[in-house]
Amino acid sequence: MALRPVVVTGLGIICAAGRDPAEFWRRLTTGQGGLTPVLDEAYAVFEARHAGQVPEEWITSQLPAADAGLDRTAKLALVAARQALTQAGARAGVQAGTQAGTQAGTQESAPAGGPGGSVIAEPGRFGVILGKCQATPDVAGRYQPMHRTGDVLAERLELRGPRILVSTACAAGGNAVGLAMDKILTGEADAVLAGGVDPLLFGTYAGFAGLQALSTGPCRPYSRSDGLNLGEGAAFLLLEPLDLALARGAVPLAEVAGYGLSADAYHATAPDPTGRGGAAAVRRALAAAGLSPQDVHYVSGHGTGTPANDAMEAKVMRLAFGERAGQVPTSSIKSFLGHTLGAAGAVEAVAGVLALRHGVAPPTIGFDTEPGDAPATDLDFVPNVARPMTIETVVSNNYAFGGNNVSLVLTRPREPRPYEELPRREAVITGLGPVTGAGTGIAEVSAAISAGRRAAGRAPSLDGRTYAPRSLWRHMNHLSRMAIAASRLAWEDAGLKLPRKALDDVGLIFATGAGSSESTGGFDQSIALNPNKPAVLSFSNVVLNATGGAVCQTLGLRGPTTTICNGGASASIALDCALELIRAGKAEVVLVVAADERAGGPAGYADQDGVVPTPYEAGAAEPVPGSAAVAFVVESAEHCAERGGRPYAHVLGTSHAPHHPTDTPPRATADTPSSTPPDTADAASAVGRGIAAFAGAAPGVVVGAAQDEREAAAVLAMGAGGVLTSSAALIGDCQAASGAMNIALGALAVRDGIAPALDGLTRPVAGEPGRYLTDPALPEPVARALALTAAPGSVYGAVLLGAA
Amino acid sequence: MVNVLAATHPEGTVYGEVGDVTVPLRFSAAPDALSQEYAALRERAAVLDLSGHRLIEITGPGAVEYAQRVLARDVEYLTSDRCMMSLVLDDAGQVVDQVLAFGREDGILLASSCGAGTRLLEHLRAQADDGIEIADRSPELVLVGLEGPYAWGVVGRLIDGELASLPFESVVETTWDDVDIVFARTGFTGEYGYQMIVPREAAAGLWSLSLEHARPAGQEALELAMLEVRQPMPRHEATPGATVIEIGANWLVDVTKEAFVGREAVLAAFESGTGRRTIGFTCADGVPAAGTRVMAGDQVIGEVVHAVHSVGLGTTLGLARVDRDLAAAGLRLSAGGVGVTTLTSPYIVPKSWSIPII
Repeated sequence: MALRPVVVTGLGIICAAGRDPAEFWRRLTTGQGGLTPVLDEAYAVFEARHAGQVPEEWITSQLPAADAGLDRTAKLALVAARQALTQAGARAGVQAGTQAGTQAGTQESAPAGGPGGSVIAEPGRFGVILGKCQATPDVAGRYQPMHRTGDVLAERLELRGPRILVSTACAAGGNAVGLAMDKILTGEADAVLAGGVDPLLFGTYAGFAGLQALSTGPCRPYSRSDGLNLGEGAAFLLLEPLDLALARGAVPLAEVAGYGLSADAYHATAPDPTGRGGAAAVRRALAAAGLSPQDVHYVSGHGTGTPANDAMEAKVMRLAFGERAGQVPTSSIKSFLGHTLGAAGAVEAVAGVLALRHGVAPPTIGFDTEPGDAPATDLDFVPNVARPMTIETVVSNNYAFGGNNVSLVLTRPREPRPYEELPRREAVITGLGPVTGAGTGIAEVSAAISAGRRAAGRAPSLDGRTYAPRSLWRHMNHLSRMAIAASRLAWEDAGLKLPRKALDDVGLIFATGAGSSESTGGFDQSIALNPNKPAVLSFSNVVLNATGGAVCQTLGLRGPTTTICNGGASASIALDCALELIRAGKAEVVLVVAADERAGGPAGYADQDGVVPTPYEAGAAEPVPGSAAVAFVVESAEHCAERGGRPYAHVLGTSHAPHHPTDTPPRATADTPSSTPPDTADAASAVGRGIAAFAGAAPGVVVGAAQDEREAAAVLAMGAGGVLTSSAALIGDCQAASGAMNIALGALAVRDGIAPALDGLTRPVAGEPGRYLTDPALPEPVARALALTAAPGSVYGAVLLGAA
Repeated sequence: MVNVLAATHPEGTVYGEVGDVTVPLRFSAAPDALSQEYAALRERAAVLDLSGHRLIEITGPGAVEYAQRVLARDVEYLTSDRCMMSLVLDDAGQVVDQVLAFGREDGILLASSCGAGTRLLEHLRAQADDGIEIADRSPELVLVGLEGPYAWGVVGRLIDGELASLPFESVVETTWDDVDIVFARTGFTGEYGYQMIVPREAAAGLWSLSLEHARPAGQEALELAMLEVRQPMPRHEATPGATVIEIGANWLVDVTKEAFVGREAVLAAFESGTGRRTIGFTCADGVPAAGTRVMAGDQVIGEVVHAVHSVGLGTTLGLARVDRDLAAAGLRLSAGGVGVTTLTSPYIVPKSWSIPII
């Protein structure tokens, strides 16, 4: 089946090896690395001092004054993103990759249109998918939401289409490009800016130093392999469908032919030494691209320079390419710019596109060719000197903490050709696994709902049974334990009994707003005490995908995996990813698990019975923050029927709408009176746009997310007589887990006819009390339920579920 | 029980009785047979006839619960891609056997220690309850081992290079020369180790194939190499009355598990804080027999458990069980009138520990 060809029409990059694509490529092909000693005195405590740093001047010279006050992550991202837009906006005939940087340097602010006003896509169909590994410190060093950088990009560049923050650590940049391709194939976007960013952060540096993973000099991947150098930077690729790109006169630079994801299910930080995980990603990517290993001319390797990575990668080459392994040149550009973590996959994808364009394989610089020093190998690492060669197909690989692997297949742009739409495949939710203060497992939660319990602020209990081998459990942080328990409960609830072989294809999408506050706090504290004695176990759990990796490891899932970090909207975006995997035939069963914990961890709890505010009550206090993990099993309806499974609900549709609190208010509409303050108006319209897709669906129950006036007003404006309820009194505000809980509650309402009641509601924020659910037993079966998710200031989501 | 692979073993193979089986002790009658086989194991790669390890399958709806009760370690989540070593204890906390447990899709498969199958099977059947089936699979299946610092290379040449670097205690189902086998990364000697569960009718053929890339090592070389890395050998070490703690096999027991046969006895032994402990020793002259008294000055402090001549050390290597306060390395004691020095384990550092798999 040939799917719609997706091409890259713009590139942007800023890293230690260049301030724009032209300079970057010139340096890659002439072997001019950018690793330098860190001069910042704070780093003097470390023995290893080399890193890939971006000179401040490279940033300031390319940013308009209006962006000067942004944090470094956002600045790096904006520089590279604007370059990509500028190049993509260039009309046919302008040579690609040569003028982008200089143009961007003088450009004020290029909106989605690019120079000359050439419109690439409607803002609402223009997405941004950002890969990022580290947290997002603001200018004062305080944590901002993980998705903040993506929101800044969306606001400044007028991107109002799909917005995803993917955080699969060092695989995130490549993963973002793959997810962007999916958004074009599903038809949700006509253009997506996909990339990655990460600055050099002291804490991360200390963590890698603590793991003894840093090389004391410039790193030497694939030869000395004595450690890595960290780097910073951002890189973006502008993706659009080939037909639309050609129609608007753009120059396709490369095709994104396919991508593959996999989970090692092996270890928190070490790669599976067999290379099975990495090879699975390559095989899946080639299968998605409809290509075979014989078609691959060049492999852009992960090549961090650590012994574990480099040894594993050699195995991936042998596994994926067999006897041809030695004839497929593979190089690492990390010795030019260091390991840019969440940006690395995007940086290397940019290099891959340029390699295709110019027919040159960039070298592995710092490669030790002296005999006797390096282990004998038959592999071709393109040592030290760039190599002109025929390149039609590039495979770009990244491997991350948590055992997340990604492989991208890029080809030279081909002719337009007939294609088929991504098939529509029905998906069902077949298992629910809530781990909440209201109960552990769906039976306990159902009982709590029926009894009208308000457990917001209560800590979930994991006592009474085991969820993982003790040897693993004892090393897990609280977030991972909750997520593992939720996953196992959902799995058991679904009644899935799959043989080992089938587990190799089961997907896992992890959704979290902030990851483990326990590990982040513990790590930060250790660094503050002594940067040379970081809490290394906590460090490996600071990456947001660590918990997803722990679930894969515990349940033995090796299928496609990713981690979505869009605050309270993460779970519905994660569900989208699961549906895309099923539609694309990449998985039949996908486990979605969302988990977040309140700051301070379990110790932060007190018995808060009696102070739980009633959702939607006018003047009610903010919801009580809580910790929870909620998992659900998404399965193709076909797979479920074949095994005789009993689904909760069909997933009839999902929808997401952006929310820009800084936007000027839109014109008054029926559901957003012009008198409403700008923020409220826009939020209401964002919720409204999210549920507008389901305007005619007439859900019998709506499980709300924000519990505020604007949400209630938007839902009630849908018209049909459904009742509104919320999970907030039941479990509290648990960020991503609340979104997943809403989806689970929607599914439960459809199948079992119960939903949490809002007893005590007398003065609702909008509409009449009769529009809210006041009895947990639904009076009549509901054919449809709508579950909402919310990341205020970023994205609102809606999921429509129907009786199975 | 006769040796399944006997027909393929060379003329001159020296057999011996170990428990209920006949196994090759050495594959030649030559005087240097042991040191040659030992050298293969420690320097290159040796193929091991493990047909004396009984394979017992536990299936049925209650299989995992039952296995969790009879095994001393936690096997609740032992999936079909994992294996682990565990003790099997009786109610008094005495060692029945030490097994390698393989997770299977429909239950669990246990490999007994060499020659202990009958005893293990009797114990398992005595403990059995409804909802499980216990089957002796040795009539159909045979265990073959491959260990040594370059065993990974042999796996690559014989079976599949991808499998050589499997994580420790990982299990896969694969084919070897078109025969369906269960392949595990595990072992006894501290070297790179692999074990293959193969169909009995294919065993001789696969064994012969292995001999093209590795030399065979018999029970004597294997047990010597096990002793050198302090791998427990119940038939030598589980003397009547000795507790798990005295034997030094605590790591094969998980007391954090709520319940298993023998748990109370193990806990009691832990809590009593008394008894003896096992320590390695070497001596310049002779090999003291098991039971020889160990003295500190003129005080009897314990006895020899097991001792042999170590090819690797070039001298005697043994285990003694002595008063717990004296179970420390570097002490000068005597056994049967000969001076002995206590040692810290491992007594030999396996070469595999410094050789990467490439």
